Amino acid sequence: MVIVKRKELTLAERLYIPEVLRGLRITLGKMFQPKSTRQYPEEPIPSTEVTRGQPRLAENEDGTLRCVSCGMCEIACPAYAITIDGHEIDRPIEREPERFEIDFLRCILCGFCEEACPKEAIWMSDELELADTTRKGLIYGIEKLKRPASALQKRIDYVKRINDRWRTFSST
Amino acid sequence: MTVLLATFIKAVVIFGALVSAAGLATLAERKVSAWIQHRLGPNRVGPFGALQPLADGVKFIFKEEFVPEGATRWLFILAPAISAMAAMMSVAVIPFGGLVTEIDGTEIYFSIADLDIGALWVVAIGGLGIYGVILGGWASNSKYSLYGGLRASAQMISYELPLILSILAVVAMSDTLNLREIVNIQTSGTAFGFLPNWNIFYQPLAFVLFVVCTFAETNRHPFDFAECESELVGGFHTEYSSMKFALFFLGEYCAMIVMASLTVTLFLGGFSVPYWEEAPWYLGVAAFVAKTAFFMFLFLWVRWTLPRFRYDQLMNLGWKVFLPLSLLNILLTGLAVSL
Repeated sequence: MVIVKRKELTLAERLYIPEVLRGLRITLGKMFQPKSTRQYPEEPIPSTEVTRGQPRLAENEDGTLRCVSCGMCEIACPAYAITIDGHEIDRPIEREPERFEIDFLRCILCGFCEEACPKEAIWMSDELELADTTRKGLIYGIEKLKRPASALQKRIDYVKRINDRWRTFSST
Repeated sequence: MTVLLATFIKAVVIFGALVSAAGLATLAERKVSAWIQHRLGPNRVGPFGALQPLADGVKFIFKEEFVPEGATRWLFILAPAISAMAAMMSVAVIPFGGLVTEIDGTEIYFSIADLDIGALWVVAIGGLGIYGVILGGWASNSKYSLYGGLRASAQMISYELPLILSILAVVAMSDTLNLREIVNIQTSGTAFGFLPNWNIFYQPLAFVLFVVCTFAETNRHPFDFAECESELVGGFHTEYSSMKFALFFLGEYCAMIVMASLTVTLFLGGFSVPYWEEAPWYLGVAAFVAKTAFFMFLFLWVRWTLPRFRYDQLMNLGWKVFLPLSLLNILLTGLAVSL
């Protein structure tokens, strides 16, 4: 059996007023300390290379898509957010999507599409803001999804680094 | 005729100042609470959120007027009016400043009514405010409201006694019930040679009792048992919405301002400027506003510092500590005055 002995209060503590003043001093001090509020739209959330925002399609320097519409991301997507229709073209990669839609009402930003992609064509960008007045408006097509690869470079470098780490540092 | 006109002007000015100060106080409440919690507080409406009370008012007006089923309709509507009216009427005798000017041989003071029973008036009218809370709780036909109203009434009875007894100590010392006279006595001379001649230095116990009782009297933290969000949803104003709720709100802040000014008047020399007896009247008003602002800040400061008492603790404190202490204080004051 455990007997908990209550602390005997001193007279000053039982008078309560000195303790109240002590509490007031603490809250007064808090008033002059720096605020922890972030004024969101004016002070955006800082993005790092680890930030996993909305997926975007990478573009080559000549403005062509890297995507070959293989459908791997479509299969990998657990939320069935991706829809791809492909067609043949004359470029060396032979295929290109003619329709590539991501429904951002379904997308859960898991990054599986990025992992599944064999052509380094789809990447999680650092874009997080998502708002529209219609449901249609949140189904993004190719025009809204494509970004020059340079804009996604930070993420591309990061993913390549962590994907390569076993190859580089493994003892076997 | 001119005297009547002067009274009318004073009434308009003081009433306007009181209501706008109550609006400012709601903004101050939100700002102070934010600062204490490391937040910024409202800052979107106007510069530094200065127009927030206005935005709140507009919001209140556009909310639905709702009377719950089974409520006593006319009492339900009357209650917030009583609550606000009592708070606004008691401001009539508070002296905001000294002698302003003389018209036809009549001295014009900066208070709506220079009553000889000023202290009594504030206590009597301020005590009426509780009817608003009780009736509101009763008329709402809701258990939470009724509990809030009952608690408020019990609390008011327990704390009105020490409040009045601590006022009585000051009255016994000053030998008058006229609030302006009480201030005038504090204006001249010094206490213990170097301090301003304020009653707080002669009546420290009465001052502490009075300040704590004002918290209970205005239903503020840590004694806000009439609201008591965690137990009673919203207490007496659970069922209130729209401007009826706003009126309760306004009444609460007006009562806070009145109680803060009463504290200043009784214990901190009211409109007197320390160490300067012949200060012009407008400086006196400034001094009064500054002192009152400090006590308003104290209301907010304490609210965001202390947790709410338990109800039985409140009753224990009121009847077993405050009442004997205030009676003892009266006894000592009586002895000192008669000797």
